[in-house]
Amino acid sequence: MIKEFAGIPKDEFEFVGETEEKSEVLTRPSISFWKDVWRRLFKNKVAMTGLIIILAIALFSIIIPELSSYSYSQQNLRNINAAPSSEHWFGTDSLGRDLWVRTWVGARVSLAVGIFGSIIPSLIGIVIGGISGYFGGKVDMIIMRLIDIIICIPQMIYIILIMLVIGSGPVPLIIAFAITGWMGSARNVRGLILKIKQEEFVLASRILGAPHGYIIFKHLVPNTLGIVVVSMTLGVPAAIFQEAYLSFIGLGIKPPIPSWGQLANLGTSVFRIFPTQLLIPAIMISLTMLSFNLFGDGLRDALDPKLRS
Amino acid sequence: MTEKILEVKDLEFSFDTYAGEVHAIRGVSFHINRSESLAIVGESGCGKSVTVQSIMRLVPTPPGRLKGGKIFYCGKDITNCSDRQMEKLRGKEMSMIFQDPMTSLNPTMRIGRQISEGIKKHEKISPDEARKRSISLLKEVGISDPERNIIRYPHMYSGGMRQRVMIAIALACNPKILFADEPTTSLDVTTQAQILEVMNHLKQEFEMAIVLITHNLGIVARFAERISVMYAGKIVETGKTNDIFYDPRHPYTWGLLNSVPAVGKKRTEKLPTITGTPPDLFMPPKGCAFYNRCEYRMKVCKENDPPERKIGEEHYASCWLLDERAPGIKPYVVKRHAGEGSGKGVM
Amino acid sequence: MVGYIFRRLLISLLTLWLLATITFFLLRLLPGNPFQTDQILTFEMQERMMNYYGLNRPIIEQYFTYMGNLLQGNMGYSLKYTNRTVNSIISKAFPVSADLGLRSLALALPIGLFLGIASARKRGKTVDYLCVIISVIGVSIPSFILGSFLQYIFALKLKILPMAQWTTEMHKVLPTVAIALGLLATLTRIMRASMLEVTTQDYVKTAKSKGLSEGKIVWSHEIRNALIPILTMMGPMVASVLMGTFVIEKIFAIPGLGLHFVNSITGLDYTMTMGLTVFFGAFLVTANFLVDIAYGIVDPRIRIAK
Repeated sequence: MIKEFAGIPKDEFEFVGETEEKSEVLTRPSISFWKDVWRRLFKNKVAMTGLIIILAIALFSIIIPELSSYSYSQQNLRNINAAPSSEHWFGTDSLGRDLWVRTWVGARVSLAVGIFGSIIPSLIGIVIGGISGYFGGKVDMIIMRLIDIIICIPQMIYIILIMLVIGSGPVPLIIAFAITGWMGSARNVRGLILKIKQEEFVLASRILGAPHGYIIFKHLVPNTLGIVVVSMTLGVPAAIFQEAYLSFIGLGIKPPIPSWGQLANLGTSVFRIFPTQLLIPAIMISLTMLSFNLFGDGLRDALDPKLRS
Repeated sequence: MTEKILEVKDLEFSFDTYAGEVHAIRGVSFHINRSESLAIVGESGCGKSVTVQSIMRLVPTPPGRLKGGKIFYCGKDITNCSDRQMEKLRGKEMSMIFQDPMTSLNPTMRIGRQISEGIKKHEKISPDEARKRSISLLKEVGISDPERNIIRYPHMYSGGMRQRVMIAIALACNPKILFADEPTTSLDVTTQAQILEVMNHLKQEFEMAIVLITHNLGIVARFAERISVMYAGKIVETGKTNDIFYDPRHPYTWGLLNSVPAVGKKRTEKLPTITGTPPDLFMPPKGCAFYNRCEYRMKVCKENDPPERKIGEEHYASCWLLDERAPGIKPYVVKRHAGEGSGKGVM
Repeated sequence: MVGYIFRRLLISLLTLWLLATITFFLLRLLPGNPFQTDQILTFEMQERMMNYYGLNRPIIEQYFTYMGNLLQGNMGYSLKYTNRTVNSIISKAFPVSADLGLRSLALALPIGLFLGIASARKRGKTVDYLCVIISVIGVSIPSFILGSFLQYIFALKLKILPMAQWTTEMHKVLPTVAIALGLLATLTRIMRASMLEVTTQDYVKTAKSKGLSEGKIVWSHEIRNALIPILTMMGPMVASVLMGTFVIEKIFAIPGLGLHFVNSITGLDYTMTMGLTVFFGAFLVTANFLVDIAYGIVDPRIRIAK
């Protein structure tokens, strides 16, 4: 008899019945996948900061031009290249246009082009990629080969060519994005669908006799949704960048309709003397791109099941 | 020769996660002698992989952490030796093969190089010599045409072949101990048998001790000389293979033995399983960890963790049923034929 | 391997053909007469030009003439610099742009990879945070804005580097940095993610179990595998360097191809635009093809794929 336990009385050595529960109580309440995603996203301060900045800029872009007494195209040749003042909070440009208004109208244009220029190509890509992945076979092969060929040339070159033909402006720009920007998203979605099709839970579903529609909505969509949303979010700063780039080389948005890219372009020609004219749109572009990137990254981290704590 | 190659005393290992501390290993002791084969058996999550990996310091240390205990290699205390000293031991004195041969080999490096890399680290050897050694090692593990295979890449092989390559890598410097962490779990039954054959042959040829980790009692019977049964981070019973199979003393061991499908059993009979699940190791229970699932639990078991008791030569178990004060029970009978009674009853 | 190379070659050629064709048809769709630009030409002169360029012929004939010319490497005359061929302009300006591009790559690659590795290994520590900040900022600030800033700070205010042009070594610093920074940011980001992914792989554990030193594991096992995703990004990276040269050359008045391209767009010099587009296309397709081959060499699994 082992000494330390000598003190235990004999009646302790009676059998206990089977009344007590046999399995562990799950010590952590299980949360649904989406609630967990939201929870993690909200906890991510950096991502939330990004989101707040985006919403703030969007809000300003809607409200401020309505409140201003100047229009974005109103010229005043007696007050050109003015520094920021109480009358013109951001100063004026080389034609005397109020830069405060132009910045926020430009915000509307750049944001709209950025957001639609990301969403529309994504949607096209989802449809094409979805068809390719779901049906597989010859259809899949042809579409993928086509994409392989087209994608060797950078998107920007196609956009430049297209815009030379259809002209400049926000709508032609979005059209150009839509025509040239769906490939990446199509490939991703197709890859995802192929992967999920193989997953055991889909196989299990089919064995249990679920119809195609059920499989698509209950399995394919929820698993692709998160990734699609992330790539759409991260596509916005790319589109904003492309718009800025195109406007910079003279193709994107032409005056008088302002866009941040155009304002940057106009600003570089007078940068050495009037730096604010470039600094302001530059900061807006960078800030917005950064915010979307941070938020998109946060979204992606929140959706990653491996990080589930 | 009963030279103790490895001795582990009261090993404690935890993981610090942001949900708290997971007590993965809560006081494990075992030893292995030269040229011996020991099997550590238990269900998923009981800590068997962590045990051997922590001995070789292969567990990433954040979040892992060695909490306590001692490890002796050939009599020397290596618990707190430096990383550099550990590097010298790994590969040369002790090595490991892992569960998933598909991911355990570097996909962009030729097989020959993956073998000779380890040799070059521990021995001064010319490239030509290294190449010859690699070729002979591949032959030893049963890979045909080794000269051609040396320059191939892992993805060109099947799972069984890759596992053989892993064994060749592990053997390269003639280690005294081989830890085999579930080496056959991801292979089909025929390949399993082949791999065990290879391991057995090499054990005899190189006088190597093998610690085999598995949850499959079936393969253990022929292969191991001694068995340690592990549950919830502790070893609950350990003994020679015959003792474990013919005179097991811990209710968990009985459960494991019962759930091995027996040939000849009536098809309509339900396969017995141990109901319930292992305890959460965030807050390990104060008493016996098997309490919730044990058919023979007593009041004392809930609050008191049973100490290890000697049952016979090299046969130990930790269970309150072994205490003098416990009520006696019928000895466990091995199911040799279908329909025969199994388990114990109260006398 | 041969099959793989052959496939990539085929795709490359098809891409080039596609691009040349698209360019041809798109530019034919342009409104107006290409000769109505800033020069005041008489009607006869316009007629003669149209005839010379074959613009009166049916489209199909024009197309074959065009393709025939292209295959011989003939890209016609610039509409703006009327006595210079597109080819001659390219041969003069390409070395300049190539110089700029190569320098940027040479600057960005080693630094970016190194920072990526360092930040992955010292995860969570200061180095990591700094690298993450740098890379996120670098990705969010377009190169032309960065270029203007650099010009402002180093040339205007601090006056330590020249403002524009491409003559001495000092001149070459700012433009190179402007392009390299964006590239560096992307490289750091990708390399960091790649290293983090590789470090958790099983074969790293195997390598450790052999007793290899940490340095050897990182070098022979981790970095090698982590580089593979970077290699797949090389194609797009070269493309983005190319795109970067367009705007940077404009800002710094560097007489490279990018500048000519941008000017040809605003100046409506269509033959130039077309020629340059096809040239860039050919260049990028070749670069992509070389990257594909390199990828096949580095990752043996690819050689058998599909």
